[in-house]
Amino acid sequence: MRLISKTSIARRLTGLFVIASSTVLLALGFVIGSSVDQHFELLDRDVLAGKMELTRHAMLMVKTKNDLDHLDQHFGDSLIGHHGLEVMVVDAAQSVIFATDNAKFSPQMVIESARKNPENSSLWTLGPETYRAISAELDTNLPRYPVVDGMNLGAFQKVYVAIAVDMAPHHAFMGAFLKTLWFFVAGAAILTGLFGWAAVRSVLAPLRAMREQAKGVTAQQLSHRLAVETVPYEMAELATSLNDMLDRLEAAFRRLSDFSSDIAHELRTPLSNLLTQTQVALSRVRNADEYRGILESNAEELEHMARMISDMLLLAKAESDFAVPSREIVNLGEEIQTLFDYYEAVAEEKGLQLLRVGEGQIGADRLMLRRALGNLLSNAVRHATEHTSIHVRISVNIESVSIAMENTGDPIGEEYLERVFDRFFRIDPSRQRSTEGTGLGLAITKSIVTAHGGKIAARSVGNLTTFTITLPRNADQAERGD
Amino acid sequence: MKILIVEDEPKTGDYLKQGLSEAGFSVELARDGIDGLHFGLTESYDLAILDVMLPGVDGWGILAGIRRAGKDMPVLFLTARDRVEDRVKGLELGADDYLVKPFAFSELLARVRSLMRRGTKANMDQFLRSADLELDLMRRRVTRAGKRIDLTVKEFALLELLLRRKGEVLPRSLIASQVWDMNFDSDTNVIEVAMRRLRVKLDDNFEPKLIRTVRGMGYVLENNDCV
Repeated sequence: MRLISKTSIARRLTGLFVIASSTVLLALGFVIGSSVDQHFELLDRDVLAGKMELTRHAMLMVKTKNDLDHLDQHFGDSLIGHHGLEVMVVDAAQSVIFATDNAKFSPQMVIESARKNPENSSLWTLGPETYRAISAELDTNLPRYPVVDGMNLGAFQKVYVAIAVDMAPHHAFMGAFLKTLWFFVAGAAILTGLFGWAAVRSVLAPLRAMREQAKGVTAQQLSHRLAVETVPYEMAELATSLNDMLDRLEAAFRRLSDFSSDIAHELRTPLSNLLTQTQVALSRVRNADEYRGILESNAEELEHMARMISDMLLLAKAESDFAVPSREIVNLGEEIQTLFDYYEAVAEEKGLQLLRVGEGQIGADRLMLRRALGNLLSNAVRHATEHTSIHVRISVNIESVSIAMENTGDPIGEEYLERVFDRFFRIDPSRQRSTEGTGLGLAITKSIVTAHGGKIAARSVGNLTTFTITLPRNADQAERGD
Repeated sequence: MKILIVEDEPKTGDYLKQGLSEAGFSVELARDGIDGLHFGLTESYDLAILDVMLPGVDGWGILAGIRRAGKDMPVLFLTARDRVEDRVKGLELGADDYLVKPFAFSELLARVRSLMRRGTKANMDQFLRSADLELDLMRRRVTRAGKRIDLTVKEFALLELLLRRKGEVLPRSLIASQVWDMNFDSDTNVIEVAMRRLRVKLDDNFEPKLIRTVRGMGYVLENNDCV
């Protein structure tokens, strides 16, 4: 993964725009410059070749020594006096026969170039000037040796001609071109920088708006949400994710504050009992037995409170970051049997029969699961009508295992079926704070089942109350469970 | 039997000291981690009870210190936080047991006794006796005053536990975990019912009554005639 340094997006994007536009313009300038350069070279070559052809003809006109001495007359206007065009003619003995004003090339170079590189242009420098030059060895019609007795020996004198164009105008043009190009590149860089910066700022404006909105989210105002409709598509997802996060936070926060108020509420009664009882006890001198009785009663009350607190803590843990601590294969039949053993005595007192049907295995945290099932069974035993049966049915399906616990008892109203899993929920408020339970049993069962990725449901048909736990068989799937 | 208690909360420390002294132990109380570590290193104890959060040196530090010094007395931790990491850390450092506050004093006493018993040989006798009650481990039979008493498997296990820890007040949670392997408190008064049924069989037609309820603490089997 690439690490992104912590700089401003606007600055980074502006920088990128500037670099991109400058690079493109520079590349374009380079391409244009080099094609202009090539074009100039082609033009020069054409000119030089044409002039060389003219020279060739002119040289063939040279028939006498006199002709050779007055070459300028033969060359005519097309060759001489042309601005920027230089012509130089030398003979084999390296002496200059003819040269235009600025043609100060070395005769040796002319001859060498004509021999090695005939009719091909090359760059010559002369002092500060650069020339594109072409040279060739040309024939004349001047006999190499004087005509004796009208007899021509058939050999004619050769000359070496160099024609050169001054490149200064080209250079001047290219210089101007490059200057313009630089100017444009710099201008474009500044402009794209400015425009880019403005564009980025306007594009990022929704982000700033989101930041402002996010500032409004506080513990007291967790219901505040980011406006998804007003932000661009790309940021809508971010806003939605943030909103989802806020939803989760709000739910967790609400649970936490519910938890605090629940526990405060539930502890208030026993605490005030303890306080009153203790203060009454202290209000006058009593005998040892009375003190003992009060202390014993206090101990019971305190034990109840301690249990409630540890149950609440378990629930809080379950609802905040409950990872199933350990998974092992649990034999449900055995587990139910162990629980039957435990509740056997209580069941017998009420004349209840504990019956189990089915077998099954599930990957689960044994202690947690036992607690969940134990709470259900305890609940069933407590609410069962005397001399009835409690049925536990284990059934294994393709993807899940379900455990149904059924007892005969008072029907539970439709409206309470969901709420029985709430903390401290009691259908009959007058039974509040029974000494038996903390009112957290089913809530704990539900959170344990949820932590295992399973579901729990309560059903009441006629006098039959059934709690059904469904646990996924695939442990991985369960791990992901919400 | 000497016990070192390191506890900075004044009331808790005082009550622990009083309770354990009255239970017949010789108790030394340190109020902070530095004193605790000093006592732990210089004196010799049969058991140390350490609070986790302490000023100066915390419980972990004391445990690590005394283990480094080569002392292998059992260590019981008291902690207000019930976190898995804490347990793991304690176990790695060599703690022997754990109690999460708030805990019942009877529970602490039971744990202390079982930690101290650790290492000493378990009672391998065939018979466990109290007054005229006799429990035959081999033949799984119980008689009182020579009369056979029929018990269920769990009642037998319950009676065995009470007899093995004769004179100790056993809290309900300990009974549930030892006899039924239930490590949670049930909303239902399972232990009360089981105990009542056992007492009907054991004590109703006999004297002296052996099983006694200690309100707010638990149950104890003792022969009051001897006390």
